[in-house]
Amino acid sequence: MNVALDVQADLLTPVITGTVQGSIYGLLGLGLVLLYKSNRIFNFAQGEFGTVAAFVVAALLTGRGIFPQVPYVLAIPIALAVGVLLGLIVERLVVRPLFSQPKVTLVVATAGVALLLVSLELFVIGVNGEQVRPIVAGDLLNTGGLRVTYQQLIVVLVLVVLAVLAALFFSRTRTGTAIIAVSQEPTATSLVGISVNRVSAITWGMAGGLGAIAGILLAPTTIIAPGFMTAATLIPAFTAAVLGGISSLPGAFVGGVVIGVIEQFGARIPTEVVPGGNSVVVFAVLLLVLLVRPAGLLGKEV
Amino acid sequence: MTLTAPAPSAPAAPMEPPGDAPQGWAPSPRGWAVRYAVLVAFFLAVVVLPTSRGLGSEDFAGRFADAAIFAVIALSVNVILGYTGQLSLGHQGFVGAGAFAAAYGATVLGLPFAFTFVLAAVVGAVFALGIGAVALRITGLYLALITLVFGLTLERSLFEVPALTNGGAGQPADRPDWLLSNDNFYWFCLAALAVVLYVDWRLTRSKAGRALLALRENERVAEAFGVNVTSYKLLAFVLSGAIAGLGGALFAYREQSVVGVSFSFELALTFVLMTVVGGLNSRVGVVAGGSLFALLDYLLEKFHLTDLVEPLLGESAQFSGRFLGAFLLLITLIFNPGGIAQQLKPITRWFAGQRFSLHGDHESGPAAVEGSHVRA
Repeated sequence: MNVALDVQADLLTPVITGTVQGSIYGLLGLGLVLLYKSNRIFNFAQGEFGTVAAFVVAALLTGRGIFPQVPYVLAIPIALAVGVLLGLIVERLVVRPLFSQPKVTLVVATAGVALLLVSLELFVIGVNGEQVRPIVAGDLLNTGGLRVTYQQLIVVLVLVVLAVLAALFFSRTRTGTAIIAVSQEPTATSLVGISVNRVSAITWGMAGGLGAIAGILLAPTTIIAPGFMTAATLIPAFTAAVLGGISSLPGAFVGGVVIGVIEQFGARIPTEVVPGGNSVVVFAVLLLVLLVRPAGLLGKEV
Repeated sequence: MTLTAPAPSAPAAPMEPPGDAPQGWAPSPRGWAVRYAVLVAFFLAVVVLPTSRGLGSEDFAGRFADAAIFAVIALSVNVILGYTGQLSLGHQGFVGAGAFAAAYGATVLGLPFAFTFVLAAVVGAVFALGIGAVALRITGLYLALITLVFGLTLERSLFEVPALTNGGAGQPADRPDWLLSNDNFYWFCLAALAVVLYVDWRLTRSKAGRALLALRENERVAEAFGVNVTSYKLLAFVLSGAIAGLGGALFAYREQSVVGVSFSFELALTFVLMTVVGGLNSRVGVVAGGSLFALLDYLLEKFHLTDLVEPLLGESAQFSGRFLGAFLLLITLIFNPGGIAQQLKPITRWFAGQRFSLHGDHESGPAAVEGSHVRA
């Protein structure tokens, strides 16, 4: 083993790769935080909103099945609309009937939705993975060991913009305030004339949209297969959201990047010493955060 | 404090088996005789029919052994999810730890057969104690998250340690000679299930069981009445972990070789699914749910339901079981929160000494009201 510290290989590469990877976690984490803020639940179906959108993009770009072949400019809004629609459908069919049930019931239900969507994807697509071409091809940076593509740059930028926009949405708009109000006191909120059902629909539509954005942006950087977002990114995204403070939108961004970088360092632990180093590190971070500072890095209350 | 004491989605009535018959009516001695006769016939059918000595075969007995193992695991999930109202998404971790402990004990340490089960249960309990100790310091749904990451970490890390798993080949867990046939193994699993059912029944009938019920309904009130919330929650965790470890040991001997990839996140979801669909807090329902999910794929194939959708879906038809499982879960949660147990209610009530009636809920007195979610 090489003892001398190589700044680029040992420090710079993990930090940059981790930031890029962590942005995906943050992007997915935004949707998780949104639903935690509004419904006080963890949404295990968040990853599948993204997977479905990713497959819609893939089908639109190649013109497969019932889909016409369209350029990216059209494919993205369509996939986004599908994501929003999916969020609305889940809200209407699953969340609303369970609104007054204990939260655990709702969480189990979202896990059920995730499984249902994965099996539907398996029905339609099968087990084989496929690749999606990037929105902008080419590399921003390529020095052998370290490679950053334009696609990855877009991911980071979109995440920053969305985190800021979402935070402003909650603090500055009437709808955002209404969402918080419903989460804190549904009965009183409906008494002052806010429709709880409408607010719930808006929240889940937004969550579906955020999930779709994560899926659309992640798709070109990996191989897409049924359930790929849930398998690869949902758990680090949860950890990121908790680390940042589960009810803090900028926290999801910060948490995502931190988890991404930590994971890259964890992955460098030799397999002979500890197998699955990146998973172990994520678990350790989650435990540590929950035990030492449950409010997270940027959160105010649990 | 909506997060602290989430109650499960099912009526809690079966916690107290529906034993109180409505006043003024009791079965005649002949009625009781019929009930016992049917019960005995049912148990004989379960014990004999699936084996090659009944209508089944060696392969069939093996499938039913799976069902018994899943039933054991479902009972374990029920202790945490049903009795304490906490969601564990890492149960495959406890089961896997038990499986590896049994295989390691049998093959590497050379422990006698019976001791491998003790080892598996202890290992499962120790892991659950650790997770429970962390879980008690945090509130509500975070436990779901911790167990989720815990299970995944075990799968990717501990279950990949070559010394434990014997490399990629899997750690062998050879059955003793008298268990080699699947018939015998099925009966062995049934016996294990009976033991776990007995322990679970004793738990719910004891002081600890009543304490758990109280703290699930409202933690603060329970504490005010002198229930030691911390120790009882830990007890539930440890018991659940021990049962899961035991289930893992059975799993190891069923497969006869344990590999880490068997214990994926999807398995953890299946465990939660089958318990909820079976009907939380109901022993009968949970066992039925576990058996159903263990046999689901096999039954779909056997009754040619997979062939039915094959022209439409092609090769993807093999995933019908998965789809059906998730679909059943959502249907259960939304329309039928009592799960299979609720559907079996007329039958279980009849066995308990009441008239056979499909709409007898209002007759069973306070027990039926107790668990409903009137308190919004």
